[in-house]
Amino acid sequence: MVSSIAIKYFSVLRTNWIQALEYRANALVGVLAIFSGLFIEYQIWDLIFKAKGYTTVKNFEFNELIIFIFLSIIIGQLKSSWHSSGEMIRAIRTGEINKYLIRPISYFWYHFMMFIGFNSLYYIVYSIILFGFTIIFKGMIFHTLASILCFFLALALSIYLSYCIYFIMVCFAFWFGEVRSLVVSYNLAMLVLSGQYVPIRFFPDYILNIINWTPIRYLVDFPVSIATGILPMEEWLSGLLMATLWCFVLSICSAIIYKLGIKDYEAYGS
Amino acid sequence: MLIQVKNLSKSFKIFKREPGIKGAFKSFLKRDYHLFHALQNINLNVDKGEILGILGENGAGKTTLIKLIIGLLHPTSGTISVDNYTPWERNHDYLRQVSVVMGQKNQLWWDIPASESFLLNKHIYQIDNKQYDKVLSELVELLDIKDKLNIQVRRLSLGERMKMEIIAALLHQPRIVLLDEPTLGLDVISQSKIREFVKYHNEQYKTTFVITSHYTKDIQEMCERVFVLNKGEQIYDGDFNNLIKSVNPKRKFIYELPNDYDSKIIEQLNKEFDFTFKDNVITAELSETILNDLLIKLLAISSPKTLSFEDLPVEETLRSFFANPTKYLK
Repeated sequence: MVSSIAIKYFSVLRTNWIQALEYRANALVGVLAIFSGLFIEYQIWDLIFKAKGYTTVKNFEFNELIIFIFLSIIIGQLKSSWHSSGEMIRAIRTGEINKYLIRPISYFWYHFMMFIGFNSLYYIVYSIILFGFTIIFKGMIFHTLASILCFFLALALSIYLSYCIYFIMVCFAFWFGEVRSLVVSYNLAMLVLSGQYVPIRFFPDYILNIINWTPIRYLVDFPVSIATGILPMEEWLSGLLMATLWCFVLSICSAIIYKLGIKDYEAYGS
Repeated sequence: MLIQVKNLSKSFKIFKREPGIKGAFKSFLKRDYHLFHALQNINLNVDKGEILGILGENGAGKTTLIKLIIGLLHPTSGTISVDNYTPWERNHDYLRQVSVVMGQKNQLWWDIPASESFLLNKHIYQIDNKQYDKVLSELVELLDIKDKLNIQVRRLSLGERMKMEIIAALLHQPRIVLLDEPTLGLDVISQSKIREFVKYHNEQYKTTFVITSHYTKDIQEMCERVFVLNKGEQIYDGDFNNLIKSVNPKRKFIYELPNDYDSKIIEQLNKEFDFTFKDNVITAELSETILNDLLIKLLAISSPKTLSFEDLPVEETLRSFFANPTKYLK
């Protein structure tokens, strides 16, 4: 029973891989786009450090800051869903979602597999980049085996949390039809607030306090802080528990909003 | 009873907007909502193994009824029970027993071959390998589409795509299949292939089909029973041929007389019966009983050289029916 359900959802992932590989140029450009982000961030911080003659910024040395930001950009990409959420909104607006609703499969998990499937190419390429970073920035990330394990656990929670947030936003399309502006606003806000381009430690304390009470902290900053060892080991467990709790809360919210939304769904088009 | 629909109504909240940029601004600031009653007080029962045709003009509510039966929509009021399941609860056991093909919507993955979508369906519906291979090869054979299985869906013709859609819908051997405009836009050969296939599948597996179509021939060839909707209300539920007869009870009659007939008698008959007479041929469009009377009298005069009866075109009959349905239904 469990295995057939696993096969069912894995087959969605598999089909998504086949689809992603159909357009080779798109897949390659998408994967390589990350390098422009890394290059720009490197240039900006190199200029700041050199121009101001800094040796540290907020206790970060140049190399520490660069690896922190590089990791943040990668994790920010892994948890983002520009493509999948756009597709889900379009499907609700045009009635294409019908084809999922008439099948014996959970819409939430079906799209979760689509989300994972679409990002899979990035997972592979970014894992190689991460491995490269471990060698280039030797001794600055993944100090212990525990840090590697906890990092991947925190990363998995970040991806799931992020998906739940996207799913909740997408469900508003059941009432409003078009909510891509909401997703774009969220994505832009998260580039900054989740610490994807600037560590959240650089923010004023009052903003940091608010972020610490939301799931945003667990999207990018938490896994990166584990990998770089900035977060003391004794705080890892409580962080992982809080991230799990947020996953639980957002899963329930997703289920409730979906249930309400689907009741109002008008199955547009034929 | 496999499908039971009781007092079903469905309304949508819609707003109207004036055309042009002024209308767009006005509608942005204030929307004038009102209720559109897509279906009102519908009652319908469908037995196992039946092929039911749903007829109606555009906007009559046919697709809305299909969407309610499959569980895509929640009704405003009333109930639907399909094999004791409530469709909109979308119980997975229920969804494994039903299937829908919507002629205007693509359910296959667009960028990859249909065979990949079939494999995905195999896992979603948890079909075992043996059954999957057997059903797939049978469907592919029947619909004559074997050489297209590994071509991306986007590269297939409309007819080929529709055949693939039907295969995807039937792979899990559903007990109930809802076909919404399955022959829309297809050429006559593909249309006829799909009709033959539906009839074969129904006979072979006792699958229940509920079909909507704008092509009268689809309904005429596949469905004995029709359910007619007009502006969201049910106006007829019964035998298709009876409906046609009640709308247009006339038949066309062509009687060729031999050369030695008595023209005076024919002129006399023409006063009694409405027909045209040209080059020894009597042509009449009359109801069955009047036609019988005429035939008896003609046979008494002379044996025919040739004699034929024709049913009047069903399309025309339905056109006049939908122009004023209340006139024909008491």
